[in-house]
This record gives sequence, structure tokens and C-alpha cells, in this order.
Amino acid sequence: MKLKHVAGSLLIGALSLGVAHADIKIGVVSSSTGPIAMVGIPQKNTVPLMPTKAGGQTIRYIPLDDGSDPTASVVAVKKLISEEKVDAIIGPSGSPNAMGVIQFVAEAGVPLLAPVGTAAVVLPMNDQKKWVFKTTQNDSLIATALLDHMAKTGIKTLGFIGTADPYGENWGKVVADGAAKKGIKIVADERFQRQDTSVTAQALKVMAARPDAVLIAAPGTPAVLPQLALVDRGYKGKFYQTHGAALPDFLKLGGKKVEGTILAASLMLVLDQVPDTHPSKKIAKNYVATYEKAYGAAPATFGGNMFDAGLLLERAIPTALAKGKPGTPEFRSALRDALEQTHEMPATQGVYNMTPADHSGFDERGRELITVTNGTWTLLK
Amino acid sequence: MDVQIALMLAQDGLTNGAIYALLALALVLVFAVTRVIFIPQGEFVAYGALTLAMMQAGTVPATVWLLAGMGATAALIDGGLALRAGQTRRLVGVLGWNLGYPLGLAALLAALPVKDMPLAAQVLLSLAVVVPMGPLMYRLVFQPIAAAPILILLIVSVAVHVAMVGLGLLFFGAEGQRTPAFSDANLELGPLMVSGQTIWVVMSSVVLIVALYQFFERTLYGKALRATAINRAGARLMGISPSLAGKLTFFLAALIGALSGVLIAPITTIYYDTGFLIGLKGFVAAIIGGLASYPLAAVGAVLVGLLESFSSFWASAFKEVIVFTLIIPVLLWRSLTSRHVEEEE
Amino acid sequence: MRTDRLVQGLFVALLLVLPAVLAPFYVTLLNYIGLYALVALGLVLLTGVGGLTSFGQAAFVGLGAYTTAVLSTTPELPGWIAWAGASPWLTLLVGLVFTATVAVVVGSLTLKLSGHFLPLGTIAWGISLYFLFGTLESLGGHTGITGISPITLFGVVLDAGEKIYYLIWAFVMVAVFTTQNLLDSREGRAIRALKGGMVMAEAMGVDTSRSRMIIFVIAALHACASGWLYAHMQRFVNPTPFGLHIGIEYLFMAVIGGAGHVWGALVGAGLITVLKQWLQDILPRLLGSAGNFEAIVFGVMMVLVLQRAREGLWPVLKKLVPVKAPQKTIDPAADTLPRRDLPTAGEVILEARNVTRKFGGLVANNDMNLTVKAGEILALIGPNGAGKSTMFNQLSGVDTPTSGEVLFLGKPVAGRDSREIARMGMSRTFQHVRLLPTMTVLENVAIGAHLRGGKGVFHAAWRQDRAEEARLLKEAARQIERVGLGSHMYEEAGSLALGQQRILEIARALCSDPCLLLLDEPAAGLRLKEKEALGDLLRKLRAEGMAILIVEHDMDFVMGLVDRVVVMEFGQKIAEGLPDEVQRDPAVLEAYLGGV
Repeated sequence: MKLKHVAGSLLIGALSLGVAHADIKIGVVSSSTGPIAMVGIPQKNTVPLMPTKAGGQTIRYIPLDDGSDPTASVVAVKKLISEEKVDAIIGPSGSPNAMGVIQFVAEAGVPLLAPVGTAAVVLPMNDQKKWVFKTTQNDSLIATALLDHMAKTGIKTLGFIGTADPYGENWGKVVADGAAKKGIKIVADERFQRQDTSVTAQALKVMAARPDAVLIAAPGTPAVLPQLALVDRGYKGKFYQTHGAALPDFLKLGGKKVEGTILAASLMLVLDQVPDTHPSKKIAKNYVATYEKAYGAAPATFGGNMFDAGLLLERAIPTALAKGKPGTPEFRSALRDALEQTHEMPATQGVYNMTPADHSGFDERGRELITVTNGTWTLLK
Repeated sequence: MDVQIALMLAQDGLTNGAIYALLALALVLVFAVTRVIFIPQGEFVAYGALTLAMMQAGTVPATVWLLAGMGATAALIDGGLALRAGQTRRLVGVLGWNLGYPLGLAALLAALPVKDMPLAAQVLLSLAVVVPMGPLMYRLVFQPIAAAPILILLIVSVAVHVAMVGLGLLFFGAEGQRTPAFSDANLELGPLMVSGQTIWVVMSSVVLIVALYQFFERTLYGKALRATAINRAGARLMGISPSLAGKLTFFLAALIGALSGVLIAPITTIYYDTGFLIGLKGFVAAIIGGLASYPLAAVGAVLVGLLESFSSFWASAFKEVIVFTLIIPVLLWRSLTSRHVEEEE
Repeated sequence: MRTDRLVQGLFVALLLVLPAVLAPFYVTLLNYIGLYALVALGLVLLTGVGGLTSFGQAAFVGLGAYTTAVLSTTPELPGWIAWAGASPWLTLLVGLVFTATVAVVVGSLTLKLSGHFLPLGTIAWGISLYFLFGTLESLGGHTGITGISPITLFGVVLDAGEKIYYLIWAFVMVAVFTTQNLLDSREGRAIRALKGGMVMAEAMGVDTSRSRMIIFVIAALHACASGWLYAHMQRFVNPTPFGLHIGIEYLFMAVIGGAGHVWGALVGAGLITVLKQWLQDILPRLLGSAGNFEAIVFGVMMVLVLQRAREGLWPVLKKLVPVKAPQKTIDPAADTLPRRDLPTAGEVILEARNVTRKFGGLVANNDMNLTVKAGEILALIGPNGAGKSTMFNQLSGVDTPTSGEVLFLGKPVAGRDSREIARMGMSRTFQHVRLLPTMTVLENVAIGAHLRGGKGVFHAAWRQDRAEEARLLKEAARQIERVGLGSHMYEEAGSLALGQQRILEIARALCSDPCLLLLDEPAAGLRLKEKEALGDLLRKLRAEGMAILIVEHDMDFVMGLVDRVVVMEFGQKIAEGLPDEVQRDPAVLEAYLGGV
């Protein structure tokens, strides 16, 4: 039966190859199930909203789920490369998943647009990582904004609570680095599991260290529980959150108890308050509106990272088309070169400027300081 | 660490322990009666809590469609059997329960202003949706293989868990939910501030355990279940139907699971896949009780809760490592003290 | 040419050509199938054959993967281990040694766990190790370790899927054949007895704790090798593939494929890997790509498969391929096993002195005395509930008397385990037949000869035990012929009639070359002819100088056969003597006939 299946798939593969010859094929790998599904689902949902035409060619997206498992990410990427012969890949959703696939996209010479936070996917730049472009602000970019604010408001000691996963882990590192530079002392460093029913113990430990402020790093709704635990135990200090908390559900679950929280994230949360001159405003507004129309809720910023990848490709494809036909190594290589030359391109998250050394390309226009007042996101001036 | 922190940790551990205890009881019960190690126990926790959250968000919970689907499948199988046997009266019962009930419930949920109803009514409706999935699951999944070896039952139980988590993601999405507390009251006990919901959790757990005890000691069905647990073949000879015992057991397990979910939803964030880890800890507690003793399982549950709470405080990054490593000596001790010759399963 | 060899050969040939004809992606899939099959194969041995359920295999895969990842990526290794960084082959060695050490430590803690404690124990250390991988900074934390070099073999760098393919499948095939070899050997029979035959195996001198440890370590090593291959194929590791969920999935593969069958591991690993890919392709077309239905459909399908094929898929598939496992051949030219020197006739072999056994207030045996001499048959008889079985347990060392002692060959039996007693030359049958119903009569009897062989696991796995195996099988066959079961030699033991199963137990006991035979109701369920044959056999054994003790109900059978009779009632000896004397004893008549 195995053989029959293999033969069948080969047949189907051959047929579909014949039909869709002229299209530009973009593979998408997201973690729409498994532990980081909260990151992957808005990304997967964004795929149908992305540009379908560039340089007069049709773009076809082929989405695959990796179930949050890096092994499955590699399988998916190999499938996209050797079965679907894609011209570029967007994904995967998780940092380890992205780290695991880099060598395989580099070997095949397929550009990878990774919507992940950790800078390790593009730094230090080398022969393999030159195929990778990052469409999420480096965690350190966001962290610097938060730490600057802390330093400005006189915070000397900081407690850190992060998820016991790559997200919390990377944040733990960048905050430790950044805080030292600003003279802020980290007095407590705690971890929790996303599904933990109680983080009381961690909250008590943090409170025992009496920090001026607490930073919570968790992707999506898990960011709520530690903050509530601290508030319930009577913690009176300042709360900082990462862009992981930048989603409507944070306000819904947190209610009054997250009032006054400060976070740094892209402008998507506070579109109406951003001046019209902001280059990203129109694009982001458009994206949020179409997403809301399609799914009935605003997207988490993770979705915006996916959308930006689509925009980057849309801009790069016409240049690459001049050098080769879709489906050829020349086209892919030209696409990579074109992506690397992206200059002052506004997208939902901010403005991209890629260089051979910097494949992330965000500057401070890619983040805003935001606070919660009266149960809504407010731009912090 | 001072006394106050220790007390707070103890309170936290006890609250979690109370939930683990409930799940441990359900696991012990299911295993004793049906030999199924019930991995999907935790999914009922998530389903209960998230169904309630969906109602409060003003949508008809998707779980009711799952119930209808399971009911329709059961109706098809049992209805077919009844038809072939020519039992028209049984057919009516089969169709009524398996088709009529879920559809009626769906209609009710669509018609009633569920979102604005009192919490108690919402909780009852959630239970009405989730709990019948228990007996239906037994009918569809486990009854056809009731005599299979434990390993097969376990693997099937894992498969059900996989499917239920997948469905949970489909129904509820990846983001977590919380529900409003049963009571906003706070109680000051010396240096301790105890929230109303915590008291709810612990009290409900105690009440439920006592109620279960009464059920097993006093009622006919309870005694029938106990008889089945002690000696399946014997119980069958005495006219206790194993499939009835199985359904009843799964009903209780689903009830305990869903109720636990509803109870903890206000004090934590529940995700579609929260159930597994909670269920696992209930399982640990149940094993400490040797999958046989209810009181020991409850003690084990509190032990796990406390262990978790204190190790989170001392070394939160290593919490799971500590909890699960410390379980091994406990298991060893239990294994050595409960001597039973294991042979032919 | 044997058909099974032919099919296996075809399979290997197919494996060799596949990379040439398949698209690269399918080679990748085959690589993963190979890696999974390697782990599942360990589980077949551990869970399917040995009956020890483990959820923790993924953690052992992780040990293998992380050992090589750390050793081959750390630039400055400490001096004592620096040599290992030179080549992946050295890290494999380190990984295997390390995993074996961990497995022995973990195993010595958790394998003692009985019943359901064991699976939970495996969950516990599986989770602990997984979280340890994620938490330790030096192991790359949750993000993992990158930059692992590919394996080099004879100067070829295995950096592409179709290159490492051959290495992976070479590992799998070696594992398959060594496992098959192992199971078909002296050690293998001991392992196969773990599931449902531990008491019997111990009585035949098998060290079941050792056998459990052996399969636990072997399964761990398979997992470790898989992890090593994984790390060098993926050239990246992070904790996710070594978590509990994956551990459960390995068990899944083994059970779906057919947990008791070596090839089941390959079927299970292949089916689950391919099924997942297939669902990923087909479901979005059927149900739209709005939700993710793979897990749901997968779970439901697994339930349906197991509802229809409880033994897994391999037994079903096997029926489609017309391959019959070849019958074992008995080599008549094999050397005959050496026999122990039997004591001279009349020498006291077994002696019970004032044996009393109390259970709480109940006195089951009260001040019992008896002796069994070489070259005689002693019958222990008595009405139901007289305490015969309890006495039998005291004599065979299963139970220890409250007071008094049992001497076997002049040495006290108390404090010795069944194995030691078996080694001293006492062999027994069971009142409730204990045999392995799915094994052939020949293999069941050969378990009896366990202590007469010495070749271990490595010899068995690499077929270096054949000369000894031929001797053991020849002996087993000889005993089977002797008890008159020759025509059933290759049938499954479970298919025999109950009476024949009792006879089989005698053959098994004889196979251990005992000087004392303890038979618990051997004639129950036998027809007249069979009884006569059994009687003849026992007479022959007596003539050879064996001491035999029979516990029996069947007076006719006993009276014409035995030399002396001990009669028990209410836990006490009420008469002893020649059969004729005892039959006339008023106390005996009273006990049996209720006071005539």
C-alpha cells in the first residue's frame, strides 16, 4: 500500500506540475497545531489575504502545518522544495523550527522568509543564513524600547517571568543583555509552562525580590496569567509585556487587572492614534480590516509578520522575473538578491531596509510603546 | 522563604491538588471498571471550561455539534442493531437519546439568551453538552473492544486523546480563555488572603468526593460498579451488564472532568490542550494510589499539588524535572509495598 | 530456497533500488520511517514481546541525539572526552555507552516497578529528561543546537538524504535481523516468557529481572542509535522531538504495526509516517484549509484500525504474503547435552522436618514430615483442602514454613529463590498449567533446558549460538518424544488438550535434567491410555534413579505406580506407608469415605 501511495502521489505531483507551470509558487510552513498554534494560526489565516499577483504573474501559496514540531518543519520544507518546487518559503512559526530548516533551504537555494523573533536565524550572517530573511522585529529591538522606558522612568530592579519555551528563553537572554547596559538589575528570573494552572509560586518568588517592575514574556494569551497572579497577590509595581501580548484577547482575559501595562509592539494595535504620516499606517489598517472581515477578530501581530513576508516578495518578484523564470534556480537566486536589496519598504510592522549584513531590516519605526488605559490600547507619548 | 510564603504555596498546592484529586478519582474509577487508562480525562476539563467560555461569549458552543455527531453515529449503530433484532420500542429509545437529545439541546442553546443567563444556568448547560460525550465515547470507542488487552485499550485511549485535542483546537482556537469567578468574595485567614473561587474549588472537590463515596456505598448502581470493578466476570453473572457499567463510569468521569474545568476556569487560563498536563498529574496521583484506592489517590493528588507549588518557587525552570523525578522514588515505594503477583495481565 | 528468506531478500533488494527510482522527498520520508522503525523495534522487544510498556523511548532517542550534538559542536571539549569530538562514529560509541549506563540506572529503579507503576515510571523519567534538555543552557535550551556535522563513511560525506538513507536502513536491517535472531534463541525464549510466564520461567532457572533489564537496555540502545542518526541527518537538535508526545507516538507505531512482531515495527512506522503526509495532502482538498483536521482524522482512524485489528496490522498483512516460517529442524548429529550425576538409589533427596505453615490463625500444615529418596516415587494424597498444595509450595521453595525446615540434597530450601533451587536439580510442574500458548511445544519444552546452555545475548543476536542451540533443541525434542508428544512438536502449545499440556510440563521439567521431579496432579484430564503411558514413563525415570514426588487425587493412578504414600488431612499426616497398607488404614478410609 505504501508503494501504491507513493506512485499515486508521484502521478498527482506530475499532473499538478503540468497545470500550474507559469505560477510563482510560495510554500508556507506554519505551526497551526501543537504548542505554538497561537502563533501559527493567525499566520495561516493571513495566507489567503496576501498578494496573489506580482510582476504580472500569479502567486500560488502552498500552506503546510508542522504541528509545532521541528522535525515536521524539515519534512514540510523538503516536501515544498522537492515536490512542489517552490520559489520561496515563508515560515516556520517557531524559532527552533526555523533554525532546523535553514541548512536545507540554503542547500536547495530557496529564499526563506522567517516570521520568528530570535535574531539567531540571521545572525551571525554566513553562507547558509544569507538565504534567510526575518520578518519579525528582533526581540532585542523591542526589548531596547522597553528598557529605555524603564531607565527613563527610574526603574532600577526588574523581575522577569517568561514561558519555558524558545520565546521566553530568547527574551530572557536579550533582556539580561540589555538590562545590564542600562544599569537595571534583574532580581528574579522565573519560568512557567504555558498550560500551568497556577503561577502563584513564581509570583511569590518575584514579589519576594521586590522589583520595581516586572516584565512578562510569553506568546499570546499565556502572557495574562502571571500578571494576574502578581496583581492578585498585591504586587503594586509596573508591568511590562512583550509584543507577544499584543492581541485583543490580552485585554479580554486581563480585564481591569492589566490596566497600565506597558508593551512595545508594532503599530497595529494603535492604528488610529498613529499619525497619518507613518508610512505603515495605511498598509496595516488595510491588513487588519481584511483580516477582521474574514475572521471576525483582529489578528495578533504574528499574522502581520506573515503578511509582511508576502509584501516583501511582492516587491522583489518583478526584479527577479527579469533574471529568470519561476521554478528555476536562477529565479530563486535573483529573488534572494532582490530581497536583499529591499530599501525603505513600508509594511504592516514597520519599514524594511535589508542589507547583505542585516536580513531583519527593522529600525525603531517597527515598534511603538503602547499602554493599556480604560481597557484599550493607547499609544504612549 | 518565610511562613507566610510557605502558607501561600501550601494553599496554592492544595487548590491544584483538589483538582488533581478529582481527576485521579475519575481515573481510578474508569480503570477499575473498564481497565481503560483514560488519557482523554483531561480533555473533558478543557471542553467543560471552554464550552462555558463560548456560551459566555454569546456563541452556540461547537461542542454541541460534536455531541450531535457522536449521537448520530451511535444512533446509526444501535438503531441498526435494534432494527435487525426487530425491537421497535428500543429503536425509539435509541433515536430519542442519541439524536433527539443533542438536537434539542442545540435548539435550546440557539433559542435561549444564554449569554445573559445566570452563571449557574450556564454551568448546567455546559455540563449538559459535555457530560453525555462520556457514555457516547464508551459506546463508540471502548465497548467494541471491551475485552482487549490493557495495552490496546491504552493506545486507543491515546488515539482518542489525539482526536479530541485536534477537535478542541478546531472548536476553541489556540488562545486561552477565562471565565468569571463564582464568587468575588475574599476571605482573610490570618496572613492568608483566600479567594472565593479557591474555596469553591476545594469545597466542591470535597463535596464531590463525599458524594461519590455515598454513591458507591449506598446506591444500587454504585454497588454494581464496585462489583464490576472487583470481579468483571462475576458481576456479569450476577446480571450487571458490562456495557451499562462502562457507560455509567464514563458518564461519571466526564462529569468530574467537565466540572473540574468549570471550577478552575476562573483562576487560570484554559487552553484547548490544557487537559493533558492536568490529566497527567491526576494520573500520577491515581498511580500513587495504586489505581485502586480512592483515599490514597486523593492524598497523592495533594502531594503532587504541593510538590509542584514548592518546586515552582525554588526552581521554576526545573519544576517539571523535580516533580517527575521525585515521583519515581514514590512509585518505587508504592510498588514495593503493594505486593501483587503480576502474571497473565 | 526458503520463501521467508526469499521475501526478505526481495525486501532488501527493494530498499537498495528505491532511492534511484523515488523522488528525493520520498527518500526523506523513508529516512524518517527508518529512524522511527528503529525505535519501534526496540518497543516491539520491550513492550510487545516482554510486556513492559514504555512511554519514555523518545528520551533515549534524545540522549543519543544530544550526546553527539554536544560532542561534535562544542569547540573546547574537556580533555578526558576531547577524543570523541573527532568523528561522529566516536560520538556514537560514547552515546551508546552513556545511554546504556543511563538505561541501567533508570532500569534498576523503574523495572522493579510492578504492574501499572512501570508505564508511569517511564512517563516520569521521559518527562524529566525532556525538560532537562530544554532547561539546560549548555544543551542549547529550547532553541536547540545547530551546526552538527554530517557523518562520513569510507570518505563519503553523508550530507544528502539519499546518501544517509543507506546508513539508516543498514542500521534498521541489522536491528531487525539481530532481533529476530535473539528471539529465536535460548535468551529469546526467556524474554518471550516475561509476558505471562514469569513464575514458570523463574522455576526453570530464568533470571527474569536480568531478562527485563536486557530488553530495556537493548530498546534504549536502538533508540540511541536512532537519535544519533537523526542528529546527523537533521544537523540540528532541540527538545521537541524527544518529548512525551513523541514517546507515545513510538508506542503507537509499535502497537499499530503489531507489537509482538519484528516486522510490525516497520509497518507501524511506515504507516503512521505516510498516513500523516497523506492526510496533510488530502484533507485540505476534502474539507478546505480553514481548520486543521489531520490530528482528528488520524485519531479516529487509529481507533478504527485497533477496533478491527487488535493485534496490529502485521498479522493481517502476513496472511496476504504466502510465507510460512520454516519449521525448526532438529539436528540429530548435535552433541547430546551432558547430564548431571544422579544420586545413588535410596539416598535421601528431599526431606521435610516438622514443617508447619500458619496463615494467621489457620494452620495449613502442621508438623509434617516426609522424605523422598532417589529411585522412588512418593505420592502425597489427601482430600480437598487437606493442605497438599501448601505442602507442595513449602517443598518447592515457593513458600517458607513458619517453623521446621525442608532439606533438598541436605541443604535447606528456605531462603533460596526458584532459580537456585532449579539449578540444584529440582524441577516441577504446575497445578494450573503454566505455558506460553503461542509458542510451539518444542520451544516451550526448550525453556526447561535454560540452565543447560550459557550463550548470551550477543552470541544469540549474531548467530554464534547455533551449536549450543542445536544441542538444546535436540534435548527438548528427545524429551518430547519420550513423553509421547512427538507428533505435536511444532504445534502451538495453546492448541493442545489440557491433559497434553500437563504432559508437556513434564517434558519441560525433564529437560532441565533434574534429580527430583515434583509433579502437581499430573494425571488430571488424561485419558486412560495416556495415564498408562505416563505411568510407564515415570517408572522408567524411577529406574534411572530419579526421585519423584506426586501430589494427586487419582487413587487408581497412584496406587499401581508409587512406592510409598503419604496421606494428609486437615494439614496433618494421617498415614504413611506402602500403597496397600495405606489403602487399608482406617484413618485413611475415614478421611476419604467419611467414616464407613
